[in-house]
Amino acid sequence: MADPYLRIRNLSKRFGEFTALDDVSIDIHQGEFVCFLGPSGCGKTTLLRAISGLDIQTHGTVEQNGRDISALPPAKRDFGIVFQSYALFQNLTVARNIAYGLENRKQPKAAIQQRVKDLLELIGLPDSGHKYPSQLSGGQQQRVALARALAISPGLLLLDEPLSALDAKVRVYLRDEIKALQRRLGITTIMITHDQEEAISMADRIVVMRDGRIEQVGTPLEIYHQPASLFVAEFIGAMNLLPATLVRQGEIQLGQTRLACKINGFAAGAAVHAAVRPEDVVCTGRTNGHANSFQAEVQDMEFMGPFFWLSLGGGELGEHRLRAQVSSQQARELDLQLRDAMHLHIPAEHIRLFPNGYPHG
Amino acid sequence: MAEAVTPPRIRPHLGRDEWLMGGGLLVLALYLAVTLLIPLVIMLAKSLEDRQGVFVGLSNFAQYFSNPARSGAVGNSLWVSALATLIVIALAFGYAYALTRSCIPFQGLFRLVAMAPLLAPSLLSAIALIYLFGNQGIFKGWLFGESIYGPIGIVIGSVFWTFPHALIILITALSSADARLYEASESLGATRWRTFITVTLPGARYGLISATFVVFTLVITDFGVPKVIGGQFNMLATDIYKQVVGQQNFQMGAVVSLILLLPAVLAFFVERWAQTRQSSAVSSRAVHYQPKPRPGRDWALLGLVSVVAMLILGILGMAAFASLAKLWPYNLSLTLSHYDFSNADGGSWTSYGNSIRLALYTAFFGSLIVFAGAYLVEKSRVAQPLRTATHLLALIPMAVPGMVLGLAYIFFFNAPGNPLNFLYGSMTILVLATIAHFYTVSHLTALTALKQLDPEFESVSASLKTPFYRTFWRVTTPMCLPAILDIGIYFFINAMTTVSAVVFLYSPDTTLASVAVLNMDDAGDTAPAAAMAMLIVLTAGVVRLLHTGLSHWLHRHTQAWRR
Repeated sequence: MADPYLRIRNLSKRFGEFTALDDVSIDIHQGEFVCFLGPSGCGKTTLLRAISGLDIQTHGTVEQNGRDISALPPAKRDFGIVFQSYALFQNLTVARNIAYGLENRKQPKAAIQQRVKDLLELIGLPDSGHKYPSQLSGGQQQRVALARALAISPGLLLLDEPLSALDAKVRVYLRDEIKALQRRLGITTIMITHDQEEAISMADRIVVMRDGRIEQVGTPLEIYHQPASLFVAEFIGAMNLLPATLVRQGEIQLGQTRLACKINGFAAGAAVHAAVRPEDVVCTGRTNGHANSFQAEVQDMEFMGPFFWLSLGGGELGEHRLRAQVSSQQARELDLQLRDAMHLHIPAEHIRLFPNGYPHG
Repeated sequence: MAEAVTPPRIRPHLGRDEWLMGGGLLVLALYLAVTLLIPLVIMLAKSLEDRQGVFVGLSNFAQYFSNPARSGAVGNSLWVSALATLIVIALAFGYAYALTRSCIPFQGLFRLVAMAPLLAPSLLSAIALIYLFGNQGIFKGWLFGESIYGPIGIVIGSVFWTFPHALIILITALSSADARLYEASESLGATRWRTFITVTLPGARYGLISATFVVFTLVITDFGVPKVIGGQFNMLATDIYKQVVGQQNFQMGAVVSLILLLPAVLAFFVERWAQTRQSSAVSSRAVHYQPKPRPGRDWALLGLVSVVAMLILGILGMAAFASLAKLWPYNLSLTLSHYDFSNADGGSWTSYGNSIRLALYTAFFGSLIVFAGAYLVEKSRVAQPLRTATHLLALIPMAVPGMVLGLAYIFFFNAPGNPLNFLYGSMTILVLATIAHFYTVSHLTALTALKQLDPEFESVSASLKTPFYRTFWRVTTPMCLPAILDIGIYFFINAMTTVSAVVFLYSPDTTLASVAVLNMDDAGDTAPAAAMAMLIVLTAGVVRLLHTGLSHWLHRHTQAWRR
């Protein structure tokens, strides 16, 4: 594999006694779209600000394209940045905003104008150059901020929660648009977000962070299906976490039922958490026809449109509660009703085990 | 696993932006140190020395307090200031309540009238009072044989000129009411009185505290009113003047200054505390309170407001008439001869010209220094400790009475060994003193405006490889232009009207209009003194009008982006 475009090694940032970033290392490759994902206070913003030089780390190095930029001020680095607040210059027109970084580079006026025109077309606002930012919608303003950052053709694009201030619908639309733009330009991009859906749908790779450390790095599929820790399992998507006991390798006791699961590194008799995604719980109806299944009662049903959230308990589950996702169509076929006793099947490969007693964050 | 080796600590390289910002901050900190901190520290030291400059510890203070004739000034200052404060707060609260919580007509006009005293030096009210109640006053009999020269005159005069200061704070406090609280109170069946006690007053309490301390400080540190109308009544601020100008006893002046500093410093901290509480008291979801007409309340408040407004206009009108009457009270035909100061002792049109120059220089350089300084404090990425230190330095002037600052300047700039000695007696030192005297409010105004800008402008600018000063010039400054204009006008009007700091610092070449009012009055030329005071009022008024016009124009032509 080629050398990474961005090589981050042992990055730490301390504010007095508080450690905001704790020995973080990561490689980011040319043209990749990477999301830093985590709850607020996890260090993702600190990491981004260290990469940009806006708040330089206390220890550790950053190399961009083979150049050591660890200690350089932001003006000596090569990046464009977009903020949640857009940070558009309110007193300048859209065109002047986009041209802002170009005007300082002694380019001929005509070249700047052409570049601004191209960028306005790129972001789908060809006729808005003369407007002031306050005359545009939030989504449009964010696109202008993107164009302003791209105008100087930076090697690295940093997006600091760019969609968080927008309405849900605009957010989804702009998500696709930014992703398409990034693919087209092939620009290495880092986006920070606390929205896991956003990260999963946009990123080539996700860096899940917690308490200043990297919890897991992987593709969206890896993060979703093979969470490396209980924290990641809980943080990404919906997840059932059920206290269980490992009876022997490959089998757990859950309530009054025993379920097969994949071989793992726990000793027999260990108390574990069994993690199961709601959509991996298969409702087989009123009669049993599967291995690895058990019976429980539908204690609550929540209609969400295309699917139902089921809350299951009792029966062989005993005190445990299990959430399952059942499509509206299947619910209709099964004629699901509250208080129904159902047979449920969980494929062995969809049960993941984590150590018990993990502090919930 | 191998032991983790801690990599070496990163020493951030500084780019041109960082050097320039850090350098700018350093220059600003040095400027504030030279024009503010060092003079004050030297004055502190002087209070511990005898006339020969020998360290004598606290013996000056002991001497001061053992002399009842002198230390009586402390008690006098305290009770007079307390009384004046009480009256101002009561009147201003009623006035502010009428302007914000009732449906009286002509609210804009009443607001305008109430602000008029801001345009005048504090001396003006004292001069007008002498015409009204003095030895030849028309209403002398109303005082039942009491003399206006003394505490009565000082209290009335102080109430006049501090009224708008209290009013501004109380209007702000009462405007930020949450209508939902009133609806809740009403729906729970509370009486109006109970609503007033449980909702209105608590909502305005920080404003009341803040206004109380501001007014108290203004009165106790004011020098103009007691000087003109105080007679033999001794107060701290006049005592400093007497010690320094009368007896050339600078050490004792320093002692009194430090005593005067105490209430001002206390007021400063209380005011800062109340400010932070006030701003966090109203949530952003509050619903604006809209008063509904209620004839009983509205008529009563209209009565109060009218009386106060008439008194303000009466005092201004008296001063104006005094400046025009040929020979009060014998010949009341009108003349402009008092405006020809050639026969008056202590004033001239040159003083007026000097004041205009001082006001223009102060407005120009003051807004420049304050705004650039506030920008560096708020927006630069470097030298956090230096930024904090500079900000604290900028807050000091609020706690320093003008007299104290002026005296501190004498000690510092007049010291023989000081290389800045050449500034002594120049226009420059007057400008420096006036900028320093009014620094804090301007600094806070600039900070407020800067805080409203997106905090990431500087980050974006750096990412676009644009030097920070370019963004400062093209984005920050244009967006803050209205605030910069406000700062300029604030400096201008205060430079026109102030007496306290500059009274120790002017020279024969740099006499000032406000000081001329004082000196002419002292010399018995009261009518020319009134004329000079009216000139100041008129100038400040015209500039205020120009400012309003310019603000409107600015909003229309350069602030199009605000929609």
